[in-house]
Amino acid sequence: MRKAARGSSEAERGRAVLSLGILAFRWVSLGWMVILALTAGELRRPALAVATIAGLAAWTGWLTVARPRPTWPVLACDLALAVGLNLVAGLVMPAGTVGERPFFAAGYPVAAAVTWGAARGVGGGVAAGLVLGASLVAGQLANGIDLASSEPAVLLDLAGGTLNFVLAGGAVGLVARLLERSAGQLRQATEETIRARERAARLAERESLGRQIHDSVLQALALVHKRGRELAAGGPVPPDQVAGLAEMAAGQERALRSLILRDPADDGTPAGAASLRAALEGLAGAERSLPVTAGATGALWLPARHVEELVAAVRQALDNVVEHAGATRVALFAEEDAGVVVLTVRDDGRGFRYDERQLLAQGKIGLAKSIKGRVEQLGGTMAVTSRPGAGTEVELRVPIREDERDR
Amino acid sequence: MSGDEKVRVMVVDDHPVWRDGVRADLEASGRVEVVAEAADGGDAIERAREAMPELVLMDLNLPTVPGVEAIRRIVEESPHVKVLVLSASAEEADVLEAVKVGASGYLLKSATAAELVDAVVRVRAGEPTFSPSLAALVLGEFRRMSGTTEPGLTARETEVLRLVAKGYTYKEIADQLFLSTKTVQNHVQNILTKLQLSRRYELMRYAIRRGLDRS
Repeated sequence: MRKAARGSSEAERGRAVLSLGILAFRWVSLGWMVILALTAGELRRPALAVATIAGLAAWTGWLTVARPRPTWPVLACDLALAVGLNLVAGLVMPAGTVGERPFFAAGYPVAAAVTWGAARGVGGGVAAGLVLGASLVAGQLANGIDLASSEPAVLLDLAGGTLNFVLAGGAVGLVARLLERSAGQLRQATEETIRARERAARLAERESLGRQIHDSVLQALALVHKRGRELAAGGPVPPDQVAGLAEMAAGQERALRSLILRDPADDGTPAGAASLRAALEGLAGAERSLPVTAGATGALWLPARHVEELVAAVRQALDNVVEHAGATRVALFAEEDAGVVVLTVRDDGRGFRYDERQLLAQGKIGLAKSIKGRVEQLGGTMAVTSRPGAGTEVELRVPIREDERDR
Repeated sequence: MSGDEKVRVMVVDDHPVWRDGVRADLEASGRVEVVAEAADGGDAIERAREAMPELVLMDLNLPTVPGVEAIRRIVEESPHVKVLVLSASAEEADVLEAVKVGASGYLLKSATAAELVDAVVRVRAGEPTFSPSLAALVLGEFRRMSGTTEPGLTARETEVLRLVAKGYTYKEIADQLFLSTKTVQNHVQNILTKLQLSRRYELMRYAIRRGLDRS
């Protein structure tokens, strides 16, 4: 949707510039008309001339202020006024002078032809031009010129005037259509580029997944398969051999699971992103001394360096729990809230009274300090909540930039 | 909590070897009786009707009828049947969808036999079993939905859910929030209900959008 909007807004902007240009043209030609009226001196119907100029000024003023959409009523009204102006010009100019001196109607009717072209394309512009040409003829007749007995020059002048209208309307119509079409092409091209890029990314991802699965998981499966057959065929088997097989299968299971959850763009390079959840699940799955669960509110894509540091910090916290807490289980939980990743390591062990100053004095804070150091390097903070008998909660808060995360 | 009666379970998985293994694990505990097995979604819906298990233990990746759809149909036909998802990968969207259509909980296939039996017994007893990782997923889901018209979580429900995600038991949560364990369970049940409701809103919005697009 956004791509489509980009294309049509391009066309929108083009149309806005065009309609501003036409408005400017209207005001200039209106001014020119006033100058002509003032300098002509000998107009046949001064009152009609003044009324016409006032009416046109009002119409142009409304067009400028209201900026109406070019609906059929607006277009019809505009064309009718332009036709009327050509007619009035014949009526107010000294009899027989149309075509010989600067024309009272000046360029204003051209604006009508151009508006029609902009709104209705080449056909609209040409049609309006022809109507205006016909009104030129009417104006000459109103000026008392006998076209039948006129010199060829007068007729040529008439034809030239008509041609002006038709060309102006048609040309602007052409420009307007081209503008629209190129906006459409731009939109289409943008969409195609994006689609192609997505396709390429998907292909690359599938290929890399296939390679990794081929390399590790398939190989392990083949081995499980082969050894399994041997075990089934042979008699007594040493338990450690079976355990080794199970351990290998478990390792591959973990690897495959974290592969599924990993960012396809991350090739382990520090510049890439990594899923904090996948990393925590890997940690939890690898822990042997007590059950560890891992959960997160989403995949939590972070810069790989953040994930590495956080995993190292959690690793240390886990070691501490195993060694000192007497816990039966540990839960790792990560959530992202308003640009901050909050990671909790919570155990149900015996807990203790956490007093940083006191622990520091007793020289017991080494590990906590090291975890704290890692988190502070990332601009984050660490907090420990613990009560004797109620387990311990270590909370790490690390800010992440909006553009570096997925959700 | 489970009484002396064995839990009547149906095992649904398309791998016979896996079904055999699960059956052996469950029956070895002496607390579970496997009354039926099914190899695909369509089969599962049919056998659930005949065998009338109390609990269905199922994979989501199934032939014929997908797991989520099978769960929806089974729960629709017999609302008293509990469903526990046993899936190989924690594909978050699938798991959330399964819970939204009526599954009471989910376990990874890497869970130990003891964990599996424990979960089966607890789900049959009506305890909503949000594992910590499922609670985390659900918390994320509600956060993503916030601002839409769905019923959001109350501050208390969010607090409970976060504590479940941090691995606290209902009892520990009750102590910490000065509530009864029953109240904590009610909060968890309400969270589940809201999650299931949100799916209905999603479907409705989808239908409306499709309808408008067509007109």
